Amino acid sequence: MDFTWTKVLELALLGVVAGGIGSMTGIGGGLIITPVLTLVFGVPIHHAIGASLCCVIATSSGAAASYIEHRLSDIRLGMTLELATTVGAVTGSLIAGILSRGMLAVAFALFLIVAAGVMLRRRSTADPPGSEEIGTYKVRRLPLGLMGSGGAGVISGLLGVGGGIIKVPLMYLVMGVPFKVATATSNFMIGVTAAASAFIYYSRGDVRPLIAAPAAVGVFFGAALGSRLMRKVRSGRLVLLLSCIMFYFAAMMIWKAYQEGFFR
Amino acid sequence: MTRLSEDKAQTAIAAVLRYGSLVSTLVMALGLVMLLIRGLSAYPPLESPAPVGVVVARALRFDALAISELGLILLLLTPILRIVVAATTFGLERDHKYMFIALGVLVVVVLSIGYAMG
Repeated sequence: MDFTWTKVLELALLGVVAGGIGSMTGIGGGLIITPVLTLVFGVPIHHAIGASLCCVIATSSGAAASYIEHRLSDIRLGMTLELATTVGAVTGSLIAGILSRGMLAVAFALFLIVAAGVMLRRRSTADPPGSEEIGTYKVRRLPLGLMGSGGAGVISGLLGVGGGIIKVPLMYLVMGVPFKVATATSNFMIGVTAAASAFIYYSRGDVRPLIAAPAAVGVFFGAALGSRLMRKVRSGRLVLLLSCIMFYFAAMMIWKAYQEGFFR
Repeated sequence: MTRLSEDKAQTAIAAVLRYGSLVSTLVMALGLVMLLIRGLSAYPPLESPAPVGVVVARALRFDALAISELGLILLLLTPILRIVVAATTFGLERDHKYMFIALGVLVVVVLSIGYAMG
C-alpha cells in the first residue's frame, strides 16, 4: 500500500468514524476497522488487527478521560476484572500468531455475526431509563464476571476488538452495575486489554506504523467527539445500521477467505 | 466497591489519560505530516518490529518514520501509565486491596511486554 495524502486521510477518516461510533455505542471500533482494512484497503488481516488494537487504545484514551471526569467509571471494578481480561488477552494474541489468515478471518466473521445479533436483541429491550443520579450499587457475581472477562480478553487478543460488546452486558446484566457505569468502565478497560495484546502483535511485526498511526490519530478525535455527543444521540437507529453493516462485513470476509483458501 | 464522591484517583487518572494520549497522538501526527512532506523514500526503512532503542535514536535525529513509530509506542504505553497512576493513587488513599489488584494487572501487562521484547 503506497503512502500518499489520500491514503493517510482515508485511514484517518476511517478512524474518526470508528472512534465516533465506538465511543457512542460502547462497541464497534475494532469491529469496523478490521473488516474495512482487509476488505477495502487490502491489508493482510494480521496487520489489520494490529492496527485495530492501536485504535482501540486510542478510543479508550480519547473517550475515557471525559467519562471519568463525570465520575461514571468504576475503576476499582474495572481493575479487578482486568486481572482476568489481560491474561485472556495475552493468550488470545498468542493464538492469533499461529492461525492462518483464512482461519483468523473466519473467526472474526463469526464473531461479527454473533456481536451483530446481540446488538440487535439488546436494541429491542429499550435502553434503561438513564437516571443521572447514580446511587450506590453492589457488585454481584464477581467470579462469573471474572470468567466472562477472561473470555472477553481472549477474544480481544485474538481479534483485536475492544471486547466492550461482552463487557458491557456482563457488568450490566450479570453483575448488577448501572448501565452507564458499565459503559464508562468498559471504555476504560478496553484500553488496558488492548495494550496487553498490542505488544505481542507489535513483536510479531503486525503493527504497521503507516497504517496504524493515521487510523489511531483519526480514532482519537472521533472518540473525543463521540463521547461528547453521546448524551444527545439516540442509539437505536445507529445500532440497527451498525448491525446490518456488520452482517455484510462478515459475509464478505468469509467469502474472501473462501476465495483465498482457508489455510493460507 | 465504588466511591462516587470526590475521588482523587479518578481526577488524577483523567489527567494522565488526557495528556498521555494527546502527546502520543501529536507525535504520530507530526511524524506522518513530515513523511508526507518529505516523501517516504527520504528515510531509510524501519524494520518491523523495530527495537525501541533504535526507534528513539532515529526519532531524535528527526527521522519521520521513527517519529511516527515512536508515537505509536507511546500510545501503547498510555494504558500502562494509567495503571501505574491508579495503583499509586490507591496506595496514597491507603486502599491497599485495590493497589495490589492494580499492581497485579501491571505485572501481567509488563510480562507480555517482556515476552514481546525478548
